[in-house]
Amino acid sequence: MAKRECGAVREMKKIFLFRDYPFAIGIPAIIFQMLFFYLPLAILVVGSFIAFGEEGRLQGFTLEKLLFFMRAPYFKVIGYSLLLASGNALLCFLIAYPLAYYLAFRGKRIKNILLFLLIVPFWTNFLLHVYAWFFVLERQGFLNIFLQKLGLIHEPIAFLNSLFSVMVMMVYYYLPFMVLPIYSSLEKFDTRLIEASYDLGASWRQTMKKVLLPLSSRSIKTGFFLVYIPSFGEFAIPELMGGDRQMFVGSVVAHYILGDTTGSLGAAFTLISCCALIISATIWFKLIDYLLKRCVK
Amino acid sequence: MRSIQLKKLKKTLQGEVIVDTIDLKIPSGKFFALLGPSGCGKTTLLRLIAGLEQADSGQIFLGDRDITGIPIHERPINMVFQNYALFPHLTVFENVAYSLKLKKMPPATIKSVVQKILEAFNLENHLYKLPHQLSGGQQQRVALARAIVDEPEVLLLDEPLAALDFKLRERMLIELIELQDKLKTTFIYVTHDQFEALTVADQMAIMNLDGQIEQIGTPKEIYEFPTSSFVAKFVGTTNILSGSLTNLETDPYIDIPQLGRFKVHIPQRKDWMKEGCPVIMSIRPEKIFISKKEVQNFSNVLKGTVHSIVYHGRSTQYNVMLPNKTRLQVFEQNEEHFTQEVIDYDNEVYLYWQKENAVLLEK
Amino acid sequence: MKPITALARTANLTLVASTYLFLYVPLIVLLVFSFNSTPFPAPWTSFTWRWYHELFSSGPLWEAFRNSLIIALSSTFISITAGALLIFYATQGGRIGKALVLFYGNLIIPEVVLAVSLLGFFSLASIPLGLATLILAHTLLGLGFVIPLIYARFQELDHRLHEASLVLGATPLQTFFKVTLPLLRPTMITTALLVFIISFDDFVLSYFCAGSSAQTLSLYILSMLRSGISPIVNALTAILLILSSALVLIFFSLRSRTKLF
Repeated sequence: MAKRECGAVREMKKIFLFRDYPFAIGIPAIIFQMLFFYLPLAILVVGSFIAFGEEGRLQGFTLEKLLFFMRAPYFKVIGYSLLLASGNALLCFLIAYPLAYYLAFRGKRIKNILLFLLIVPFWTNFLLHVYAWFFVLERQGFLNIFLQKLGLIHEPIAFLNSLFSVMVMMVYYYLPFMVLPIYSSLEKFDTRLIEASYDLGASWRQTMKKVLLPLSSRSIKTGFFLVYIPSFGEFAIPELMGGDRQMFVGSVVAHYILGDTTGSLGAAFTLISCCALIISATIWFKLIDYLLKRCVK
Repeated sequence: MRSIQLKKLKKTLQGEVIVDTIDLKIPSGKFFALLGPSGCGKTTLLRLIAGLEQADSGQIFLGDRDITGIPIHERPINMVFQNYALFPHLTVFENVAYSLKLKKMPPATIKSVVQKILEAFNLENHLYKLPHQLSGGQQQRVALARAIVDEPEVLLLDEPLAALDFKLRERMLIELIELQDKLKTTFIYVTHDQFEALTVADQMAIMNLDGQIEQIGTPKEIYEFPTSSFVAKFVGTTNILSGSLTNLETDPYIDIPQLGRFKVHIPQRKDWMKEGCPVIMSIRPEKIFISKKEVQNFSNVLKGTVHSIVYHGRSTQYNVMLPNKTRLQVFEQNEEHFTQEVIDYDNEVYLYWQKENAVLLEK
Repeated sequence: MKPITALARTANLTLVASTYLFLYVPLIVLLVFSFNSTPFPAPWTSFTWRWYHELFSSGPLWEAFRNSLIIALSSTFISITAGALLIFYATQGGRIGKALVLFYGNLIIPEVVLAVSLLGFFSLASIPLGLATLILAHTLLGLGFVIPLIYARFQELDHRLHEASLVLGATPLQTFFKVTLPLLRPTMITTALLVFIISFDDFVLSYFCAGSSAQTLSLYILSMLRSGISPIVNALTAILLILSSALVLIFFSLRSRTKLF
């Protein structure tokens, strides 16, 4: 029934009024989407190319703003963001896959509890988690006090405002995004394939590499991109936990948007970063495909 | 008037002709069966009558009324679907009451009507259960009850027994016949199972893979007097022998190469019958008498060797090899525990039949 | 699975355990110290409900909470309704399959970009920032979930049920309300829950699109964060954790019931 419209549907099509209207119009959801998603995005893109004179008047077409950002410091920002996103995605993957594996294949009895425990933080306010880690990582925070009490260190370590705290928080926040798709795919996995592999004499390492990983490639890619793409533009975590040492894309964009009358400088930078994002995402896509294909050799 | 008439109904889907210009009259108040192989378009035809599909050309009449352009929900025609299509979120009671509620019947009336009909179907203990809690046979009866409770003019049934096992199917067929008899609603029953069709139908039509009606008639007419080799082969099993028609005027024979001449009976002279024309003779396996002895009183006889024997309980099937290297199927009813004559593999046998029991078909 | 070595299995288990520890230690620590009578970093003094009392009597907190609630409920309601209308259109024969792709972008795009583009749009159209703009922004997020999820479920439905309803005499509109919607209801509820949470917990969009007037829970917590560690926030964490747990429980119980239809 999926590809062929069922007779009832066709019937209704003939009877009801809607056949007279082209489908894009008349649907609230689609109008809304067009108006408030694509239109602003279009304005964003176009805005990057427009020069504004005094008092924000339109002056003409320009590449000036784009060129403004094609400089080393900004490239560095983009580069660091790409590194952050990639590192985050990789770390999440390394932690998430064994976790998903355990949930799907091993922890039969406590599976529901574990899933519940996984989702609860996911569904709790983001900032509270930031606060929680503040609490732990602050100079006068829990971890430092704890380590001092144990006598391991004598002076509090500045955990916060470093790349370390940013990474910790990133992984903490994005982990479920990676775990859930992989878990749901592994759960439906045909275990007979694994049994067949063992039957044919493969070790568990080989089976993981040649059977499990390649066949879960789709969910791995899904998880990867659910983490990679948002991580790139992550604003809140670096802003709150990273201090000012290194700026990432999100913070730069925010800085320009909030401080600029026309907001179009921020728009221009967003455009450039997005291009970088799309290109890098495509590269990662191909890379993952390639690596998974290599697994089977 | 509850008759259905189709005039030059045509339906194409994705370039393929599913229903090819069909003219069909289904009499009022009868149990009508539409029989055909899978994919012949019989379900599409049914859906056209229901209104679930729209024809490319042609008309559909309910009695005198042209219902071609009338939408599904306004046609007084109900349908029983192959997988029952019971609403999973409604109880048995609510499923059956569905159409009555739409008609805004008072709740008290609905309750009594629904209860009565479910009692008649032996489902009074399952009123408030959900469909998935019922067995296949019970679901089928709920679907049936739901379709007839608002007294439609015509009831369409799309292979309703396909999902049931054999014994259940046999019983349901009888129940359906009794139901139709009582209600006098026009039933149109679509199936690819000839046993079902022959059992239930007052009248039936055979549809071929080109989307055309091959033959219309009573089950007996169709079985005993098929008008084409397709019908002869599709309904029941038959033996087909080809030859040429000779001696047409006086004492007609069919001349079969390597086998000889056999008397034929022509009840009605057809246009295509000419002296010497190629012709097919269809003779059903149960109409052939098999014996090792020579027997008189039969118009035709053929000699052969027993190639294989299949025991069917009620009957035994003999596959007999003929001199021209073709095989003939013979059914013999096992009337007695110990037969007078035992026919075994590789026996030389005589096959006898009366000329009236064979049918001549156009080649 | 015998071929897996005991070592590998232990390693797996250890990793899983440490991951959960990693996820929960900060929260547990937070919870424990929400009952401490003296604010951190002082060590444990005595048990107290004081911070919870302060929490519940905090006016700005309730206002922020109320705002977040309004925004979350509104955006959930709007996106679910829009989804239902879209499904209705689909039942009338509208070809939605291709239009679906239009909605994927909502979740893929980094939230900053979305916020930025919306800000530009709002300033261009001279729309003042406030609750309304936030609701709008969150609805976009909501649609990104609602449309794909509900449409996917709609496609799984047995369309013979719609046909049966029509044949029995229900108009297309009646069929939609009596058959389609009830069958979609479980999915709609779980999706609504999801959207509600996403909106309630959202930070980035609120940060950019709230303007000076609207205060959401996230922004409130932010302001408290800026002023340093405070046990009140500990208490707040505890409360919200309980709330989230309740919602997750509801979600799980609904998910298992969905299997029926």
